[in-house]
Amino acid sequence: MLRFWKKRFDEGLKTEGLEVDNEIKKIKKDIKESIKKRFAGSLAVRMVDSGSCNACEAECNALSNPYYDLERLGIYFVASPRHADVLLVSGVNTFNMQDHLIEVYEQLPSPKWVITLGDCPFNLSSFDKTFAIKGEVEKILPVTHHIKGCPPEPSYIIKGFLEFLKKI
Amino acid sequence: MRLVARFANDNIENFEIIDIFEDKTVKTIVPKSNPVIKSITKKYPAAIWFERKIKDDFGIKFEGSFDERELVHHERFPKKVYPMRKNFDGKVEFCKFEPYEYEVIKGDGVFEVGVGPVHAGIIEPGHFQFSQEGENMLHLEVRHFYTYRAIEKMIEGKTPFEAIEIIEKISGIESIAYQAAYLDILSQSSKVELPMGVKKYNALLIELERVIHHINNLGFIPNDAGFAPALAFCSQKVEEVRRILKDITSHRFGFGAIRGNSVGFDKDKFLNFIESIEQDIKWFKDWIDDMPSLWDRFDTTGILRTKNALKYSCVGVVARASGLKTDMRNNEFYKKNGFKMQREKSGDVAARFNLRVNEVLNSCAMIKKFLDFDIEKIEFGDLHDGEYSSFVESSIGELYLYLKIKNGLVDRFFARDPSFINWQAIHLMMSGNIIADFPLINKSCDLSYAGNDL
Repeated sequence: MLRFWKKRFDEGLKTEGLEVDNEIKKIKKDIKESIKKRFAGSLAVRMVDSGSCNACEAECNALSNPYYDLERLGIYFVASPRHADVLLVSGVNTFNMQDHLIEVYEQLPSPKWVITLGDCPFNLSSFDKTFAIKGEVEKILPVTHHIKGCPPEPSYIIKGFLEFLKKI
Repeated sequence: MRLVARFANDNIENFEIIDIFEDKTVKTIVPKSNPVIKSITKKYPAAIWFERKIKDDFGIKFEGSFDERELVHHERFPKKVYPMRKNFDGKVEFCKFEPYEYEVIKGDGVFEVGVGPVHAGIIEPGHFQFSQEGENMLHLEVRHFYTYRAIEKMIEGKTPFEAIEIIEKISGIESIAYQAAYLDILSQSSKVELPMGVKKYNALLIELERVIHHINNLGFIPNDAGFAPALAFCSQKVEEVRRILKDITSHRFGFGAIRGNSVGFDKDKFLNFIESIEQDIKWFKDWIDDMPSLWDRFDTTGILRTKNALKYSCVGVVARASGLKTDMRNNEFYKKNGFKMQREKSGDVAARFNLRVNEVLNSCAMIKKFLDFDIEKIEFGDLHDGEYSSFVESSIGELYLYLKIKNGLVDRFFARDPSFINWQAIHLMMSGNIIADFPLINKSCDLSYAGNDL
């Protein structure tokens, strides 16, 4: 392990986008009261893939890498919908996933919000509507915010979260 | 003789079953009045998902099949609706919920654990049904097709060029491999050879995709054994390679990257970068090699024996870690550019981990050779009707695409993701392991859900 720590100290801090920190500091100040009341200072996100190609998932995983380190902003992904404030939905909402998606949403404690991620849940991206695609997550869940892109890059997802915080 | 795929076509007047083996193709006509054909699952157990899928899609029955449950159509999918038939009207409504009967082991003290389709991490949907005897796994049934988008049907009736944008998004992490395989089909159909410059450029991008996928996996395997620093290190490297991929293709996953032309970029900077990645991976290997507690988890966990890998027609990393020589890159073009077949013997998590390390290093060596590509462009002529197929070694394993063009439009598209085969072998890795080892075993194979489900 010693050589890991040596490399770690030699290379220094990798995290980028410190200006985002300042921005969230400002937003936090603005909505301090409501965040305190609603999220106890941190935002818990549960992600569900409703039929995506796995690129959106890969970008969400990338949010935890040392370059972005999303958790420092107080936003983190949780393992159960029952721990979450926000449901993050990617994918085209397939025939086979729709029931499970609604079930997950019902498991979230109130107050709860839905954010859609990537073009798929919004306009199916390049896909056409088939019998196996239900599409339009908006029609079955109350979507508060949409983060566009195919897939949205990690820095864009972070900005999306900030915009969402401003909205509510 | 390895089974590659088994699928069906609707020829209007009859059905046709196409069996693709490693070295031959067999076509069988099935009359519509009595759509029954013999099952080949006795000899090729991995044919069972293909046959269940054909049954769901076309309503063709298989004589002597050991499993007749639905595969692609889930609990609320209407019965006797066959979407891949040409006369399908495109309408499917939710039906009454009919429970799916899982394949389980029964007995005193044996219990079941159901996991999914929504998992605890940021991961695609799929269901795993374990039969447990205390901590020990007795059996696992993998149930997928939650992300089933009916892509085969979606593409029918489009022009072959229109289909590219859908095919590149079948499985995001293998996008470049899918695009390369499809470009190969287009070039076959227009009877134009891919220029060497384009061939090398495509191969370079495929290897870069493999480097990303493998390094990502090298981080996640130790992470699933409770060693997070490895993920922190590898996810950082993955990010760096993704950014380079974006520099070259202007997309982090290479969507739209392979369209039949090679594009120039700063090769010196790129070469330095690939060399730094090589150094980092060697450093990473030394570091992980020194962790006895990790190897305690990796060694002898999730063993897939060579004879089972062979029996289940396994492909890709899973097959090579069990000692099989299954690699689509084993040809003159790749060998000339430094390809060396990587293999391991033990077939456990450790073997798949080591194999990935060696493959990343080999890929880096090949990328350096591919760098001397020329800027060229393929001039597509008219596309000719006919049947075309292509094989590409994606980061998971052998990818097979099939396209039938009729009157200039897509009549049938079929894709067999490497995951489709390997998922069927995963239950063989469970015996003798505890349920806590499952994430580790699953991650070491790192299969795609979206590519499998289509």
